[in-house]
Amino acid sequence: MSEECCKNDSAECCKGEAPAECCKGGGSKECCKTDCCAALANIYGAGLLRIWLAVRAIQTGLEKYAGLQGSDKLVNIDGKPNDYGLTEATQVKEYAMSHYHGVPEALMKKFQAEPLMNLKMLALYDKVLGPALIVLGLTILLGIATRTSLFLLGLLYVSLTFGLILIKEDSGVAWLGIHMIMIVMALSMSKYNRLCVLKKW
Amino acid sequence: MENTPSNIPRRDFLQRATAGVGAGLVLGVPNILRAADAAPSKKINVALVGHGKQGQVLFDAMKNIPGLHFQAVCDIWDYNRGAGVGHVYAVEKQKPKAYADIDEMLATEKGLDAAVIATPDFWHSPHTVKCLEAGLHVYCEKMMSNTIEGARAMVVAAEKSGKLCQIGHQRRSNPRYRFTLDQLINGSKICGQIINVNGQWNRAVKSSQDIAYKPSLTIKPEVLAKYGFKDMHQFMNWRFYRDLSGGAISDLGAHQIDIFNWFLGAVPKSLYATGANSYFKNREHFDNVMALFDYETPQGLVRAFYQVLTTTSAGGGYYESFMGTEGTIKISENSSATEIFKETSPAPKDPTVPVDPNAKIPPLSWDGLVQRGLLRKQAAAPKPKTEGVVDSRVSAPPEGFALPGELNKPPHQPHLENFFAAIRGEAKLNCDARHAFLSEAPIYYVNPSALSKQPIVFTPEQLSV
Repeated sequence: MSEECCKNDSAECCKGEAPAECCKGGGSKECCKTDCCAALANIYGAGLLRIWLAVRAIQTGLEKYAGLQGSDKLVNIDGKPNDYGLTEATQVKEYAMSHYHGVPEALMKKFQAEPLMNLKMLALYDKVLGPALIVLGLTILLGIATRTSLFLLGLLYVSLTFGLILIKEDSGVAWLGIHMIMIVMALSMSKYNRLCVLKKW
Repeated sequence: MENTPSNIPRRDFLQRATAGVGAGLVLGVPNILRAADAAPSKKINVALVGHGKQGQVLFDAMKNIPGLHFQAVCDIWDYNRGAGVGHVYAVEKQKPKAYADIDEMLATEKGLDAAVIATPDFWHSPHTVKCLEAGLHVYCEKMMSNTIEGARAMVVAAEKSGKLCQIGHQRRSNPRYRFTLDQLINGSKICGQIINVNGQWNRAVKSSQDIAYKPSLTIKPEVLAKYGFKDMHQFMNWRFYRDLSGGAISDLGAHQIDIFNWFLGAVPKSLYATGANSYFKNREHFDNVMALFDYETPQGLVRAFYQVLTTTSAGGGYYESFMGTEGTIKISENSSATEIFKETSPAPKDPTVPVDPNAKIPPLSWDGLVQRGLLRKQAAAPKPKTEGVVDSRVSAPPEGFALPGELNKPPHQPHLENFFAAIRGEAKLNCDARHAFLSEAPIYYVNPSALSKQPIVFTPEQLSV
């Protein structure tokens, strides 16, 4: 928003109006126009970052409930369902609690062998990772304590990074590093957040 | 829940086991055991004996089967034991009793109906015998034992106890394998005369590494010693030790050589094997083994080649391929590796065999099999380049077909379903101890052949109980 402009030259630029109202009217001064455009860009930028991080977290969490379900339909042989139990080859992706896997099985086995990994904490982490991603994604999307939610999501990614460092998954660490940069950007732009259910925190 | 033991007289057994035609009867129709007086609605109380990696695989398959109650978990490692309790609790919302010692479990637990055993190979036989003698039906993972004597003891105990004993050659209950044998090989005879069999399990170095463990979870030395392990590394990696396991040919090859025997309806007449520690030089067992088996089957002589390589994943993973004069079936538990090929030029009929004008079976029509739903046709293979052909007699690529359907369950589930259905008297075992023994017996001689670098011509006594 054009707060800086209005603070510095409120009389000339905005004539005592609130920055938003000033810009809504188009503003009569060049500085106001410029800041108005910059403010809108920042609002859009902050919004996009929030949406991206939220979608990334929510869908990653949901995918932990995804699994493939083979078809139950028996294939026909000589015009009737076969007696062997051979089913159609199609597999349908579905979401169910029974498919839940917080930490992928292949990674879990590697983590379990790591001396620095506490197995009880790992089991707990496995249980909460999916729900945590979904909840944090939703709070960021809806703007519920956005800054704290972003911070917690960052901590979650730090924890994932720790695990990947242990098992030497360097590409995954770099990938999470990009996420961290985006979270820091989102935090630094939090003053431009709009459409927030709970602005506090 | 008593069963009807397979009362095959020893002499008859030997004759059938060694004669090609008879072997077909023995190996091809193993479903001779089932519990007679089980109440179908009764919940089956199960003890999980051994809850390591394979035990968890079996549990994941069993949790889908209705009518089971997991009453007890037994494992010497508290880590596995705790995991087992947690897995059962997640399914039943009640904790099973947990035991470190199987004798204590059998002495304490009342009302157990069955034990599912997934302990290291050298414990299979003692654990199976204990459970059978305690009046439990037993599902035991393959290999039956690390020694042929241990496997024999299991057959004797099963038949003496009158209880069911299913061995975990799970492909025998897989609908894809049963369909292939019944409908394609024996029914439609799409392979023609099977001349060669080829099977393999190739696994990469990365997947063949020692299994690591957290030092903080190390089992006390006295506990390890009590159960036959010299240290924690041996406990985790018992498959590499000669006193505890048969090695790769037993761990991986046993499943597939069992399919050779089952599909051919015969046991091999002779064996020659070779193996070496080419990469894992400090292991007791070979890291690669190749074996040749000679069979006399009702349709003629068959040579089978099997290799297990723990140093490469190239070459198509794991499969069993039955190559005949008119077609080849390459089947695998991994459905994506299953392929069926039709020879482009079917073998000419033997002119010395008179044509039967009244034959009811029409000439094999692969298109007809597709129309009936017995096969699915695959996309045509690309035509070979005409340039640069090194030999004018190079065969055209065979046409490709596929099985008509899939198995939509975990691979072990049908075999376990068969076991529990047999306990209820609703089915016959697909792989009881005696028939598993007959199929496994030649495998016990692969390592000796490779070590001595000598072929082995089997005697009836070598392959019988």
